[in-house]
Amino acid sequence: MKETKIDEGYFDQPKTRKMLWRVLWGTCGLSVVLEFFIHRESHFPIDNFFGFYAVLGFLACTGCILLAKGLGFFLKKKVDYYANDE
Amino acid sequence: MPMMNNLPPGLILIVGALLVPFLPGRLKNWYVILLPALAFWQVSQLSDSAALTLQLADFQLTLLRVDILSKAFGYIFALSSFAAFLYGYYEKKSSQFVSALIYVGSSMMVVFAGDLITLYVFWELMAITSVNLVLGRKTKKAYRAAFRYVLVHIVGGLVLLAGIILTIGETGSTAFNAVDPSASSLSSWLILIGFLVNAAAVPFSSWLPDAYPESTVMGGVILSAYTSKTAVYTLIRGFPGWEILIVLGCAMTIYGIIYALLENDMRRILAYSIINQVGFMVCAVGIGTSLALSGAVAHAFCHIIYKALLWMSAGAVLYQTGKSKCTDLGGLYNTMPWTLIFGCVGALAISSVPLTSGYISKTIIIAESASAHMFWVWLVLEIASAGVFLHAGIKFPYFVFFAKDKGLRPKEAPKTMLVAMAFLAFFCIYLGMFPERLYNILPNGDLVKSAMPYTFYAIYVKHFSHVVTQLQLLLYSGLVFFLFLPLLKRTDTIALDIDWLYRKGGALVYLMLDKWLNGLNSWANRLFAENGMKSTSSFFRDGPARLLLIPIRPLWQLTGVEREYAKKMEERFINKFRSTFFSIGSGAVFCLGLSLILLLLSLL
Repeated sequence: MKETKIDEGYFDQPKTRKMLWRVLWGTCGLSVVLEFFIHRESHFPIDNFFGFYAVLGFLACTGCILLAKGLGFFLKKKVDYYANDE
Repeated sequence: MPMMNNLPPGLILIVGALLVPFLPGRLKNWYVILLPALAFWQVSQLSDSAALTLQLADFQLTLLRVDILSKAFGYIFALSSFAAFLYGYYEKKSSQFVSALIYVGSSMMVVFAGDLITLYVFWELMAITSVNLVLGRKTKKAYRAAFRYVLVHIVGGLVLLAGIILTIGETGSTAFNAVDPSASSLSSWLILIGFLVNAAAVPFSSWLPDAYPESTVMGGVILSAYTSKTAVYTLIRGFPGWEILIVLGCAMTIYGIIYALLENDMRRILAYSIINQVGFMVCAVGIGTSLALSGAVAHAFCHIIYKALLWMSAGAVLYQTGKSKCTDLGGLYNTMPWTLIFGCVGALAISSVPLTSGYISKTIIIAESASAHMFWVWLVLEIASAGVFLHAGIKFPYFVFFAKDKGLRPKEAPKTMLVAMAFLAFFCIYLGMFPERLYNILPNGDLVKSAMPYTFYAIYVKHFSHVVTQLQLLLYSGLVFFLFLPLLKRTDTIALDIDWLYRKGGALVYLMLDKWLNGLNSWANRLFAENGMKSTSSFFRDGPARLLLIPIRPLWQLTGVEREYAKKMEERFINKFRSTFFSIGSGAVFCLGLSLILLLLSLL
């Protein structure tokens, strides 16, 4: 194992990153567009509206990240936090 | 062969383990790979009528009770240990193999145990042997984590034992069967708590992310599968329909996500994600319908495979780089592409991406929560499904293999590791496409097949709408990950968990007891030993003199003796008393004074 700087890998090239962003936005868009062509059953009144699962995924993850970030202010400690007590 | 029909598969591993130290070189590795294969075959040979009982004093122990539920767990335990030992081909230490084999064998004994005593014995054997997989890392951190791991399991085991003893006292029976939620008693609650400790249910969860990430490379893969899933089995068998399990399960799913997001160590991220996944199973047991219980078994089956695969991938990175923190890793896709690909298959499976095993198992549980009209449960499980993709599906592979290239260029993982990963990755995809084989070995398999699509066409063409909604949920979760990437930047930190209570809190209690008890001690010492003795002796030494000084002082004041001089006279007076040396004049005055006092007293 050598810790030397080697040429930028494929996934580190700005061109690739730009392409991947496009793919991500594209598939996100496509998944919602597909909903026009399917008939889906709903279990509760709330999941009946168009794009429900996309919105749920977006909001749920945003909530999780913000909650984790907020809790991080209290819960995150330096790695040697327990070192002196054991 | 009638004997073979009644042979508990776990015994093959436990007895087989005893031979390991005597085998030379690579033969040892091949031998430990062969044993789980034999155990798998033995599980397949067991018929429902097979039984093995043993009379111990007044109790009849059932070492083998066979039904579809125990067989399903038997299959997956044997299968995953086969893959784990294949992965552990690099390992040379017999002690690691012996403890791993007895650990896995004990977990198989637990799932085939028909009574509480047999269950308890092997339950404890699991705890004892598994700790060696942590100790084997031989770091100071591992020793300490192993010590805490043992302590937690001793406490959990004692609670379980108390429950078992009470149950035997109440019913006179050692049988291990389902407890009706309406017939709960102290004994059943104690047993439930004992099981929940091993299931890493909140708030008994922190031992898992504390100990597992400190284990050896092969140890981590093995540990990830058995303790918590054996506990899931015992919950399915003993506590179906207990509503508290729904609440605990939901809490576990969210808790696992939040902590996994806070974590920096890749194997600790995966440890928290075990709690998240077991949460789905615990929740399903709480829902308690036949379909939900089958869903829990299916999810446990698939989970063991993809979680072992993820631990293998992380273990390979640790094995090759010696690093496990996200802050130290990144850019490994350059030189470890196969480890990345297999890790990604595991990551996609755990996220329930269509065409993978998680998609056909988790769906049963979520669909059943909706069928039971449990809106909040359904919503939490959907939110948790999105969160899984966030922490295990993307965070783990992204920060380890991509993110900022740290310039690490390790070699690809050893071939045997890759073969083991490929083996499990195959199952992740195969089960996702053709789940019928899995559904067939589930309890109420026919019911599952009547309620869920099980052919490739039915799942991915006929029910394409579910594929679309699942993709929406996951793709937008992925989008959030990359949009919020600056907020998710890794820091070289740890996150305080419930173990704070017995790590810092324990120290705090110790400190408080130290201050309080030692304070009390030194106060008592000061009061009695030092000052008490001194004042008692000075009382007996100087008391009479001081008593006499009370009437004498006013006399001196009346005769006009100055204050300073009076003090000196007092000292001299006391010293005279100490030395019991008095002039005749003083003695006369003393006698006269005393006579006067007595005279006055007699007159009164």
